[in-house]
Amino acid sequence: MRLKIPLAIIFVMGIFSIVTHFIPAKPIADLNQTLRNWYIGIISFFIFLGTVNLARSNSEKIKTKARDWQYSIILIISLFVMLVAGFYKGHTSMEEGKPFMYLYFNVQYPLESTMYSLLAFFITSAAFRAFRARNKEAVLLLVAAVVVMLGRVPIGAAMWHGFPDVTEWIMSFPNAAAKRGIRLGIDLGLISMALRMILGIERSYMQ
Amino acid sequence: MSAFGRIQNLDRRIIFLTVAAAVILPLFFPFRLPVAVTAPVQQLYDVIEGLPAGSVVLISMDYDPSGAPELDPATLSIMRHCFSRDLRVFVMGLWATGVPLGMRALETVAVGEYHKQYGVHFVNFGYIPGGAIALVNLGADVHDVCREDVYGTPASEIPMMEDIKSAADFGLVISMSMGVPGSDQWIYYYHARYRGNLATAQTAIGAPKYYPYLQTGQLVGLIGGMKGAAEYERLVGNYGLATVGMDSQSSAHVLIILFVVLGNVIFWMEKRRKK
Repeated sequence: MRLKIPLAIIFVMGIFSIVTHFIPAKPIADLNQTLRNWYIGIISFFIFLGTVNLARSNSEKIKTKARDWQYSIILIISLFVMLVAGFYKGHTSMEEGKPFMYLYFNVQYPLESTMYSLLAFFITSAAFRAFRARNKEAVLLLVAAVVVMLGRVPIGAAMWHGFPDVTEWIMSFPNAAAKRGIRLGIDLGLISMALRMILGIERSYMQ
Repeated sequence: MSAFGRIQNLDRRIIFLTVAAAVILPLFFPFRLPVAVTAPVQQLYDVIEGLPAGSVVLISMDYDPSGAPELDPATLSIMRHCFSRDLRVFVMGLWATGVPLGMRALETVAVGEYHKQYGVHFVNFGYIPGGAIALVNLGADVHDVCREDVYGTPASEIPMMEDIKSAADFGLVISMSMGVPGSDQWIYYYHARYRGNLATAQTAIGAPKYYPYLQTGQLVGLIGGMKGAAEYERLVGNYGLATVGMDSQSSAHVLIILFVVLGNVIFWMEKRRKK
């Protein structure tokens, strides 16, 4: 029974979702709208669940003195401070100059931006050590990368006015063709996975 | 170890230092090279130019501070363009952490530069949870999804919302996106059902993925990374952070290419030496 009920729910909801796409008649469309609203409600609850889970798993790390447990203390304190700042005075906490916005723009903003920009340093180091023209395919990739890198910055156009045009051509044709192929493959895989779940063949999500 | 081997095993801190120099020095000694406008950015500009005054442009803040250096300049430029043409701006976001970015952009452009009135010329509904499903509902009934704005005011009390009922009331939707949920969901779940004009601004790393959608007409424009934002700044005639950043990006790209070339020269020299 514990297995059959979830499988039945998935089957009914899956078939219903497909049917509503082809039959937009009033009672079916309204029921679909209600179900979608339920989904948004459940998703919103996940934010709360995720926060509790994050706090629990990091508290556990501190308790057991697991590897890098000191960072968990910073995380718990940050989480608590941002929560208090966010809830303090309700909606007005989002106004410019209030504690939440101050912390967001003076702590979270520079920290996240810095983390992302560190990529430039690692990419340069990795490109220097690993980007090698070992065979014809690698040479092709290397040449395309150099042309695109030059075509995407003004200095490229200053070197040769054709770089931006060649870059747009690479983006619009070879790149688009490859992306389209990858996307079609992903979507066919998604359709087959959805069918497997609706028909109860794929059950790994229940484990 | 040979000289080539030593260069190949160069301490990565030296590489990091040269990258830092390549990024920082042009900020102090700019060489201000002209930015060429590419077709995908021009297309978006033309669509906004073609919208009649009073049209509503939905800007979805689907990014967080990690993508802000690339996407904030595009957000500001698009808002400047919209307000300069008397278009109304509807802001929302599929990322909770993007809400303050939208608020600050509106504060800077709508209030600070164009003296527009909240609720009449622009509105901000903040974070909309639910990703793809929320977009399906949004297109059918905006008021069902956007019940109160980011300040807690019910949508029914906001004058601008009287004209906005469904997807048909948006002249253009722009997803400022750096991941999921973002432009993918806008294309698959919103545009596939409700059509209309949809465009996106992406971080440079995400932009190549969206070229197929430009060709099919699912996207009417695409701003790729800081370069795209610099192009838009040029079109709008308001040179900001993206234009300033172009010199740093130029020198960083040239440096990476030099490192790649150097790495390959050493690789081939070593190969010949071993033979």
